[in-house]
Amino acid sequence: MAEICCEVVAGSSSEGKGPECDTGSRAARRRRMEIRRLRVVAERGAEEETSGKRRRLDGGGGEASTDEEDREVERARYGFTSVCGRRRDMEDSVSACPGFLPGHHFFGVFDGHGCSHVATSCGQRMHEIVVDEAGAAAGSAGLDEEARWRGVMERSFARMDAEAVASSRGSVAPAPTCRCEMQLPKCDHVGSTAVVAVLGPRHVVVANCGDSRAVLCRGGAAIPLSCDHKPDRPDELERIHAAGGRVIFWDGARVFGMLAMSRAIGDSYLKPYVICDPEVRVMERKDGEDEFLILASDGLWDVVSNEVACNVVRACLRSSGRRERNRSSPTSNLSPRQSSSSGDEAPNDGAPSAAAGSESDEESAAEEDKACAEAAVLLTKLALARQTSDNVSVVVVNLRRRKL
Amino acid sequence: MVGLVGGGGWRVGDDAAGGGGGGAVAAGAAAAAEAEHMRRLHSHAPGEHQCSSALVKHIKAPVHLVWSLVRSFDQPQRYKPFVSRCVVRGGDLEIGSVREVNVKTGLPATTSTERLELLDDDEHILSVKFVGGDHRLRNYSSIVTVHPESIDGRPGTLVIESFVVDVPDGNTKDETCYFVEAVIKCNLTSLAEVSERLAVQSPTSPLEQ
Repeated sequence: MAEICCEVVAGSSSEGKGPECDTGSRAARRRRMEIRRLRVVAERGAEEETSGKRRRLDGGGGEASTDEEDREVERARYGFTSVCGRRRDMEDSVSACPGFLPGHHFFGVFDGHGCSHVATSCGQRMHEIVVDEAGAAAGSAGLDEEARWRGVMERSFARMDAEAVASSRGSVAPAPTCRCEMQLPKCDHVGSTAVVAVLGPRHVVVANCGDSRAVLCRGGAAIPLSCDHKPDRPDELERIHAAGGRVIFWDGARVFGMLAMSRAIGDSYLKPYVICDPEVRVMERKDGEDEFLILASDGLWDVVSNEVACNVVRACLRSSGRRERNRSSPTSNLSPRQSSSSGDEAPNDGAPSAAAGSESDEESAAEEDKACAEAAVLLTKLALARQTSDNVSVVVVNLRRRKL
Repeated sequence: MVGLVGGGGWRVGDDAAGGGGGGAVAAGAAAAAEAEHMRRLHSHAPGEHQCSSALVKHIKAPVHLVWSLVRSFDQPQRYKPFVSRCVVRGGDLEIGSVREVNVKTGLPATTSTERLELLDDDEHILSVKFVGGDHRLRNYSSIVTVHPESIDGRPGTLVIESFVVDVPDGNTKDETCYFVEAVIKCNLTSLAEVSERLAVQSPTSPLEQ
C-alpha cells in the first residue's frame, strides 16, 4: 500500500507541474506561499494537540473513576489541519474536543461562505450545544441509542443555526476577525457547512448539513457516512421545489442560482429553501475492521476521491506502526519531492529504554497522534497539488482500539 | 422569506388595482406613477438573446437618505450584501469611472468590473454597466431610480431597478431573469433595512420632503 501512496503523491506532483510550467515564477511563488501557510497551521495544530493531551491526562483519571459503564476510557487519537489554500480568505473552522462527554470525543469541520463568523461560531459552540442537548436527552430512557443521538443532533443543529442568526442581528458584536461591514445590520447572507462526528465506545455518530463529508475506512473499504447536500440531489431538488424555490444551473446547480448547497447553518435569506436539518447516521463500531475516520471540507473532496483519501491515510498510519517497531524516519515512505518540501523532520531520538513501560506507552500514543496529523497534512498537500480552489480542512481519527 | 418569496409585488406591473374605492384610487395613482417613471427613465431595448426586467421596492425612509446609499458608486458594500470589497480605479469619481468589485464567497462569481454610465443627483438616476468579471453576465446594464412618495403619512421612497443582460449559453431567458432578479431583490431588501435603520437613528420631521 505504501507504493500506492507514493504513486498517488508522485502523480499529483506531476499533474501540478503543468500549470506551474505555464505560469512560471508566479505559480512557484504561490505554491511556496501555500506551503508556508500549511506549515504555520500544522504547527498550530500540534500545539493544540499538546494542550489536548494535557487535558486528557488530567481528565482521564476522573473519567475512569466516575464512569463505570465503560470498561476502559478510550483515548482519542486524531490529527487535523486547516489551510487557506488558493482562496483569498480563510473561512473554514475545525473543532476537536476529546472527552467532551464521558467516554466520547467530538470532531467537527465547518466550511464557511460569505464570511468566516458563522463557521467560527460553529467551531466554538457546536460541541457545547451537543453536550447540553445530550444531557437533556439522558433522561429519555424509552429511546434507543440511535434515536436519542438523532434527536440530540437535530436539536443541536437547530440551536446552532438560531445562534448564527441571533449573533448577526447585532446583539453580539462580530468576532474581531470578521470582515463584515458594520454598516449592514444583518448578516443573513453568511453561512457554513457542518459535518460533526461523535465517537463513543460503541457507536460513531455523524451529523451533516451541507457539502463537507465524513468517510469511514472499514476493512480497507471507504464508506461515506454523509451524503453531500447538493441542490440537484433528487430528494433535495424535490424538497426545494415543494417549498416554492428554484434550482438554476449557474456554474453548477445552485439554489436561486446563488448557493451551491441545499443545506447550511445560517444563510437566513435563503430559508426555507436552504435548511439546517442534519442528516444523522449512527454507525455501530466494529473492532478489528474499523481503521479510521476522515472529516473534511469540499476543498479536499472536490479533488480527491474517498478511496484515494483512505489509501493515503492508511499508508500514513501503517508507516506509523512500522516506525514504532524500527524507529525509522517519520517521512521514510514519502516520495523524495514531498520529503524535501516538508522540511521539518524531527531528529530521531536515542534508543528507547526497554525498562520504562509507561514511558514507552506514552511515546507510542504521541506517535499515533503525530501519524494522524501527518495524514491530515498529506491529504491537504494532495488537494493543493491538485489545484483545489477552496480552503481545505481535514480531521483524521484513528479508530483502531489499542490492545492492552 | 421576505426578500425572495414570489408574488410579493416586486415586478413592475404586478400591483393590481383592487379593493375599495379609496384604495383603488390610491393604488391606481401609485401604479400610474410607476408606469410613468418606467416609460420615462427605464427604457431598455433587449435584443433577441437578451432578457430584461424591472423591480420596485417601497422603503419607509426619506428619499435623500436612500439616494445617498444608492449613489455610493465607490461603496456598494454599504447596502449590497454580496459585495466584500470595492476599489475605484483612478482618482476622481465621475461618469466613466470603473470599479473593481470583489464578490463574497459562496456565489457563482468572484469579481465584477463595472463602469459608471450616469449619476444624476437632481433626477436621482444611477446607471451602471458590467464591463468584466467572471459572473457570466455579459452586456449587463442597469438603471436605478429613486422617487419620493408618502407611506403611512410619512416620507418614503420608491426605488425602481431595471436591467438588461445577455442570456448565457446553457441558460434560458427565464432562468437568467430569475437569477438576476433574485440578486436584485436581496440588494433592495438590504437597502430597505439599512435605510430604515438609519432613518430611525436620525429622526426626520414628517413635514420634511
